[in-house]
Amino acid sequence: MPEDYARPIRRILVGGLVLVLVALFLLWRIDSPRVERFRAVLIDRLVPNFDWALLPVTKAVGMIGSFQSYASLYEQNQRLREELQQMKAWKEAALQLEQQNARLLDLNQVRIDPKLMHVTGVVLADSGSPFRQSVLLNVGARDGIRDGWAAMDGIGLVGRIAGLGQRSSRVILLTDANSRIPVMVQPSGQRALLSGDNLPAPPLDFVENADLVRPGDQVVTSGDGGVLPAGLLVGQVVMGPDRRLRVRLAADYGRLEFLRVLRSHDLEPIADPAGLVAPPLPGPGLIGPLPLAPAAGMAGSGASDG
Amino acid sequence: MVDLLHSTIWRHRAVFVAFALALFFLRLLPLGTVAGTWPGPDLMLCLILAWVQRRPDYLPTPLIALVVLTEDFLMLRPPGLWTALVVLAAEFLRGRAALTRELSFAMEWLMIAVLMVVLALAYRLAFALALVPQPGFGFAMVQVLGSIFSYPLVVALSRVALGVHKPAMGEVDERGRRL
Repeated sequence: MPEDYARPIRRILVGGLVLVLVALFLLWRIDSPRVERFRAVLIDRLVPNFDWALLPVTKAVGMIGSFQSYASLYEQNQRLREELQQMKAWKEAALQLEQQNARLLDLNQVRIDPKLMHVTGVVLADSGSPFRQSVLLNVGARDGIRDGWAAMDGIGLVGRIAGLGQRSSRVILLTDANSRIPVMVQPSGQRALLSGDNLPAPPLDFVENADLVRPGDQVVTSGDGGVLPAGLLVGQVVMGPDRRLRVRLAADYGRLEFLRVLRSHDLEPIADPAGLVAPPLPGPGLIGPLPLAPAAGMAGSGASDG
Repeated sequence: MVDLLHSTIWRHRAVFVAFALALFFLRLLPLGTVAGTWPGPDLMLCLILAWVQRRPDYLPTPLIALVVLTEDFLMLRPPGLWTALVVLAAEFLRGRAALTRELSFAMEWLMIAVLMVVLALAYRLAFALALVPQPGFGFAMVQVLGSIFSYPLVVALSRVALGVHKPAMGEVDERGRRL
């Protein structure tokens, strides 16, 4: 007898479970920020507890990789020597440019924003999915991190904060399919949108005039939209195999260990139109509303006239 | 006796959860931060299907739902959808456990392969219906192929290491009941 009931009841229960799960998916689709906040809290609870194990294992795997490179030690040495020669030439050039830059800044009396400071975080974990490109940092709201701030490695922009927990924060990388960053291509000043597509070199979209952009040009953030600070190095333009303009990122994505999160302070929005530009208000003695006493006198004189 | 029976079942459930945690841990390691690498097989799916096919009593539906939902949240997938599909697939296999008990491994593999492809297609269809941007078709199919080819490995490993196998004719559990 119980066998007869067990099957339908089981069906109903499993059907209910599936319905709840699909409803959860629909809820995510409709009100994504709320569910994502819940996800951030959940990850914030779970992942930093693995902190003690994640970092050593990562380092150990990295060491195994380094051991494997012993096999090709000689070739590597030769290559490094060559690169070192080239680097020396570049270093000279860089030093001269730095001096020149300092002189020019001095001449122009440029004030560099003193508020641009950073918080450095260690990469705890990555997204765990081959279809999403993001990493988890061990700094969070507790350390004053806010959503939208830029994350860089030593050289270039890596991504921006999207998702914040108490102890952790998620950096969505420039290569993620959901990443859109307003950029500027340097010598020509063309503005474009860098939109990730899960490939190592994200393409440039909405270039104003693609003829002016050449492979080799430098790409920096433009600061449009007021989320990221302007002028952070992103990478170099390359022509992709599909004849699209793509950006080879300056940051070393193969070795994300420490990231700097730039504290960009809220830009003060200029909302209302400017007030009337008028000469400074004169003292009450000159124009101003008339004091009461003379008015009373005038009224009195009028009465005496009439 | 009851303790013995329950200890086998509960031991396997514990092993399943431990395997899931280890898998999440490995996938969360920040090693693959370069975009565009090929996706690996979905071992979690292989394990669930293989165990449900062999010993449905080891994996009750709530446990499957809980583990896969956690995976959904940790791996940045839209929560719930994949879990619902996996629960449905497990239920499909569970309902046919008596029928498929006599199948040869090749036929079982074929069935699982078809099931995995159907799951992936349904997942993508739901994405398309909900207008959610999704990764390229080829990319997703590479993952499905990887899962299909690692299925025999998972089966062999769980048989050798954990003794998860289809109950033979007339096999009894620790309480002497027919399986």
